[in-house]
Amino acid sequence: MTSEVAPIVQLQNVSKSFGRVFALEDINLDFYPGEIVSLVGDNGAGKTTLTKIISGTESPDPGAKIMIDNNIVKNWTAAKARSRGIETVHQNRALSESQTIYDNVFLGRELTNSLGFIKRKEEVAETEKLMRKIGYTSKVWTPNSTVNKLSGGERQGVAISRAILFQSRLVILDEPTTAMALSEAAEVMAFIQNLKADGKSVIFISHNPWDAFSAADRFVILDRGKVVCDEPKGDMTVQDFIARLHGFAKEGRGSVA
Amino acid sequence: MGSPRKAGVQLRKNLSLINSVPEKLRPLFGAGIFFFLMMVAFIIASPRVFLHLGIYSAIFLSLPLFTIVGLSLVFITAAGEIDLSFPSTISLTGLAFAWTLEQTHRNFFISAVSAIIVGALCGALNGFLVTRLGLSSLITTLGMNFALIGLTQILNNGAVRTFLELNDTAVRSIFVGAVGPIPAQMFWSSGLAIILGVIFHRHKFGLHTRVAGDNPEAGRAMGVNIEMTKTLCFILIGVCSAFTAIIGVLLNSTYFSTMGDGYLLPTLAAVFVGGTPVSGGKGTIGGLVIGAATVVFIQTGVVAAGLDGYWTSFGFGLVIVFSLLGHRRFSGRLTR
Repeated sequence: MTSEVAPIVQLQNVSKSFGRVFALEDINLDFYPGEIVSLVGDNGAGKTTLTKIISGTESPDPGAKIMIDNNIVKNWTAAKARSRGIETVHQNRALSESQTIYDNVFLGRELTNSLGFIKRKEEVAETEKLMRKIGYTSKVWTPNSTVNKLSGGERQGVAISRAILFQSRLVILDEPTTAMALSEAAEVMAFIQNLKADGKSVIFISHNPWDAFSAADRFVILDRGKVVCDEPKGDMTVQDFIARLHGFAKEGRGSVA
Repeated sequence: MGSPRKAGVQLRKNLSLINSVPEKLRPLFGAGIFFFLMMVAFIIASPRVFLHLGIYSAIFLSLPLFTIVGLSLVFITAAGEIDLSFPSTISLTGLAFAWTLEQTHRNFFISAVSAIIVGALCGALNGFLVTRLGLSSLITTLGMNFALIGLTQILNNGAVRTFLELNDTAVRSIFVGAVGPIPAQMFWSSGLAIILGVIFHRHKFGLHTRVAGDNPEAGRAMGVNIEMTKTLCFILIGVCSAFTAIIGVLLNSTYFSTMGDGYLLPTLAAVFVGGTPVSGGKGTIGGLVIGAATVVFIQTGVVAAGLDGYWTSFGFGLVIVFSLLGHRRFSGRLTR
């Protein structure tokens, strides 16, 4: 990414320790608009902690600087992160499966009249728009379907639709393709590309190097709390990428990504 | 030769009709079919009783009492909790109503408000114990049921409080008078069913209630206050128990501290026969109305059909098991 565009999020000197263990050590990273960043690393490398700090659910150790749109923010919380357009799709997707798709998309932020009754038609129409935007192609399910009728990939689609509700700019996807069939994972990867086409930034956490490679514009590899690689995709091949991952893994504890 | 085959085709058509019922309406549909079959059985067994208006007037007297408190139980069941303390709450709020009537020279308004406040406090206490202290609602409210009935007996000290002078007042005819053959409380309970039905199925509180029973973590992640939602459901039960108690006292012009007895099992049965699953996350207010009617018809119908009162329990048992089988058939995993 060119440096002329201001980053949405800048992290400077971000560390996080739990007792004597450093989960993150002196992280400096920028996240730009319209960019998909793959965040990879072994279990315990600090991926989830890092995204929790960005989304405000975890606070960094003192001395860290978080800047949003070039302004330093203090007392960064989840509510503030959301109001600045940063949304997280959790690993467990946080869907209420007996409810309809539109109820899930608007959960906690329902469109209601002044008495608190849900404006069903508006929610359904808006949900349909969001689902179309991320490329939800299923013709069988409508916003009125209950979530427990959907496949894993389609459920992830509901969670992603929810994340881009209300003009979010940066969507953090925590292991969105874990435990999914290949076809479902492919569906989710297509959703992610549509997010980018819509101008959103994405931080994509994955254990799967193939997904991480195909999705990304830029790679950030974490190893034991440190950024060991921060490179644009450029003309890197998937072999280069995997070799890089293996390289760190060999030095480290011996397992891949 | 031709006609049985035709009947078979017709039957299959009817079965596919069930499949064409939208999934959301299937519990309601199942409860309705069950109620219909039961009524047919009653009419065949005792046409003289069940083709006469008298039995229905009698049933409409007590049906609203079960319906009103049953409505609130749909909320708590959908929220993934249970409340077994409402029978004692009915007794206690009835006492609050009766006692305040005596103290205020029969001021209905103040007495009703005091009963509702007592009911709401009981619910709030249940909600606090369950959501803040993390106790199991089954055990907590079982304990509360004993504690509250004990408290009621202590406070009432065996008295039977009569209010015969209320008999010809406007308040009594508004709440428990009769419009033709239909007791006024039928209209009150129907109105409440419509209001709570719209809230349960269309209001964000209803959605949050269902989410609380389905996946509370999902609700919390999206900023829904699950603890408050559940507490409000418990408070709703307290308030509905107070409504039931008020109507019960007005109906009999008498308060006795055992007035809550006999509500527990029929009302819970009404919830489940109506198609609300035990597992939480879903519920149906329309189903509860049909379920309550089913239960009350058994209670009254068994006796009216000339059977021994002991058959009531037997009938309950059959109805609960068969209706659950029916719901399972219509709605898949619903009743597990």
